[in-house]
Amino acid sequence: MATRVEAQTSMSVSDYDYSSFFYSSSDDPFAILDPYSEWYTRALRTGYYLFQQPMSTPPESRIEVTEGLHHEHIKLLNLASYNYLGLSNRPEVIAAAKKALDQYGLGAAGSPLLSGMMDVHVQLEEALAKFKRKEAAMVFPTGYSTNVGMISGLMRPGDWVIADQNAHASIVDGAILSKANVRFFRHNNPADLEKKLKQTTGKKLVAIEGVYSMDGDVCPLPELVEVAKRYGARILLDEAHSAFVYGEHGRGVAEMFGLEDEVDIHIGTFSKALGGQGGYVASSRKLYYYLKGFARARVFSCSLAPVVTAGVLESLGIAQKEPELRDRLWKNVRYIRKRLEEEGVDVGDSTSQIIPIMVRNDRRIFELGHKLFRAGLYLQPVIYPAVAKHRSRFRVSISASHTCEQLDEGVSILVRVLREEGVMV
Amino acid sequence: MSNSNDGLVQYHYRDAIAGFFELPTENARAILPPELQPIEPHHGSSVLSVMAFDFHDSPVGSYGELILSIHVAPRIEPGEAWPRSAFFPFRLGTTTRESREHAIERWHLPHYMQDISIAWDRGDGHITIHATDRGQPIVDMTITEHEWSKVDHSYQAFMNDEEGQYTSTIIMSGEFSENEEERGGITIHSQAMTDLLEDWEVDFTPFREMWMKNGLQTFHPLKQLLSYARR
Repeated sequence: MATRVEAQTSMSVSDYDYSSFFYSSSDDPFAILDPYSEWYTRALRTGYYLFQQPMSTPPESRIEVTEGLHHEHIKLLNLASYNYLGLSNRPEVIAAAKKALDQYGLGAAGSPLLSGMMDVHVQLEEALAKFKRKEAAMVFPTGYSTNVGMISGLMRPGDWVIADQNAHASIVDGAILSKANVRFFRHNNPADLEKKLKQTTGKKLVAIEGVYSMDGDVCPLPELVEVAKRYGARILLDEAHSAFVYGEHGRGVAEMFGLEDEVDIHIGTFSKALGGQGGYVASSRKLYYYLKGFARARVFSCSLAPVVTAGVLESLGIAQKEPELRDRLWKNVRYIRKRLEEEGVDVGDSTSQIIPIMVRNDRRIFELGHKLFRAGLYLQPVIYPAVAKHRSRFRVSISASHTCEQLDEGVSILVRVLREEGVMV
Repeated sequence: MSNSNDGLVQYHYRDAIAGFFELPTENARAILPPELQPIEPHHGSSVLSVMAFDFHDSPVGSYGELILSIHVAPRIEPGEAWPRSAFFPFRLGTTTRESREHAIERWHLPHYMQDISIAWDRGDGHITIHATDRGQPIVDMTITEHEWSKVDHSYQAFMNDEEGQYTSTIIMSGEFSENEEERGGITIHSQAMTDLLEDWEVDFTPFREMWMKNGLQTFHPLKQLLSYARR
């Protein structure tokens, strides 16, 4: 008989979350599957199907998605993708990728340390290093493996990784894999970082992000750098959501704050503003040499597919040659923010191109998501444990490729549904 | 009646509050039996919960209770209901000797052996307790409210003493409010009931605050365990 998630009580699907099913109490690793499946099946009926709905178009402003419950194809206005500069489907990028496909074939067929390093990988690493004004840049097959490989490649048992409490899972998992001691400081709080650093001795790495993906807020880099330096800690700055978006030349919040040399390790991804896939570490040549041998997430992964690498290289060039893309992105951000403010929508503490639409109702977020979906708007619900309880929201991601008319349409649908459902007046 | 024929024991409360605080997992492991696995909201951080009850009707009359617990993974047999969460109470204080002796005998709960006092300060949107022992402060804790709803939540408690290891399902019914707005707070004073906490790195901002009102706590019959949940 399977374990039940439904007691003789009023407990509902939302009373459980993923953390409820992390452990079970049996010698059989499969024992957790029955209660989890029961919960998950019930959760699907209440709206969890809104996740992982397959898209059959590029992640542009208008998309087509297969709805998860009835498998209908639905055309939607997309305010959910990370395609910040609209580069994922640029003709030049597609052409570069197609050319690489003809030249190299589908995959690299080897890890970068052995047979998987192609000239296009070298070109991308050199172009990135030049762009970031660093001695060297190393390409990883995914953004996730970048932080995992970087942190576990450098930090050791007995060392300390002090990370912002909202740091991405890749930072957390890299720290876990390194077997270093891990502490989290309160989000964007330099005083708490100092408190945590005071309690440590030995090698220390402070891991922070430029823009945080759930709240869209920017890190107070000058204050965090000052504290970290005072305690002799190295600084890792993950600019997954801020590289190519912030700074006069698009080099991220480190450039915006004038602290590019104070940050020791610059992390970024290709899957957001550049519309591709993969990640990078930009830093010193010595760190490059070391990671080449010790970043196991790279050493033991197949290289980034050359077709993607060539596309990303082209995207990188466009992002530098066309600063007007960033201008257009920020114009769009200002435009939609103003429209949302005029309508009285709660957007939390965001100052970036990621704008949370705060619903603050964990029980209704999926129902609202379903109504938005049916009204033609593609937004992803974000709930606990990704964010704190009762801070559920939809996450709007703005792109340079959105038009003002599309943004108006999105705001109009959003406001109409939220008003109809009594979430806002 | 608070004692029913089917082995359920019921305690009626006016208010029940809890603050969840992060602390390093090595601190939590130091207090847990080795077979119990602490729940980690973040890698390396476990959960200390500080709970307080204001019981107005129970098998041992009215009394107040302060409980220090570590949150752990539940132990569930096939066919049993999955609890909302599980915890290991490692120190309790009560305001009456009768309630203390009842809890030790009936539930094998580890107690601070002096009568404590708990003052409840019910404000607008928040509630504060001041727990003391003969005038010496133990804990001051403030919990804030959010939206209220009627619930029946299932929890699992683990206990151990020199006689053995036990578990019980506890159903908490009543009006319920929960938030993670970090508006509450706690001061843990240096005192014999809290001496275990003195060397721990407890983060004194509650990442979760729970408050229940006008409710009923129902203990299911104790089960003796051959061993605690496997990790």
